[in-house]
Amino acid sequence: MKEIWAVIRIDKVNQTKRALAAAGFPSLTARKCAGRGKGNVEYLIRPSDGAEEYEEASHPAEKGPRLMPKRMMMVVVPDALKDKAVDAIIHANQTGSPGDGKIFVMPALDAIRIRTGETGDAAIDEHEEPRGTAL
Amino acid sequence: MVMIRAIVRPEKAMDVMTALLYAGFPAITKTDVFGRGKQRGIKIGEIVYDELPKELLILVVPDKDKQLVVETIMKAARTGAKGAFGDGKIFVTPVEEAYTISSGVKDTD
Repeated sequence: MKEIWAVIRIDKVNQTKRALAAAGFPSLTARKCAGRGKGNVEYLIRPSDGAEEYEEASHPAEKGPRLMPKRMMMVVVPDALKDKAVDAIIHANQTGSPGDGKIFVMPALDAIRIRTGETGDAAIDEHEEPRGTAL
Repeated sequence: MVMIRAIVRPEKAMDVMTALLYAGFPAITKTDVFGRGKQRGIKIGEIVYDELPKELLILVVPDKDKQLVVETIMKAARTGAKGAFGDGKIFVTPVEEAYTISSGVKDTD
């Protein structure tokens, strides 16, 4: 079993959810976070009139790293389906520019479904009958 | 690769991130969390606070940098010379693979 953490752009959350559901991973946990990558973040305000010039946004604390708001998605998948999930996330999020995010794959020792007490792959089996309304 | 998760005081989070930046680890993710330690929270008068606000800092580094990152965080997050209860914890877990979404490339260390 693998735990996949994807740190992605906030405006790609719905696309990622849809892509993961289509690939057979409807269940996930998401949370707000802030972060930065290797490059320096340039805070530029986009002019509303469509002009080409950008002006730099002020930042309350000038020292220290500037962070961008992101979403973190956490999915636990069986070993065999890891590549499928990673490909789905990359495909949904790739714009080619810095800031698209990172995906980390970590080993997960066990999973337990609290409702039934099932453990292991049975607990994260997505192929049981859906109970709520579909997307 | 290892993932280092550090739970630190909110007022120390920026200090820790700045220290990591100058130590050569700019890439970091931060999120708000609440928790308590083995002191079971703090008691002020009659009231016990056991959901203390903290910041969770997450970074993934090559195995060889683990010690340096842990020491940098520890030095920056400590309050006072000897440290105090509530300074936080650092957890290190293995990461098997990492992908950069913009290029789709699997990172090697």
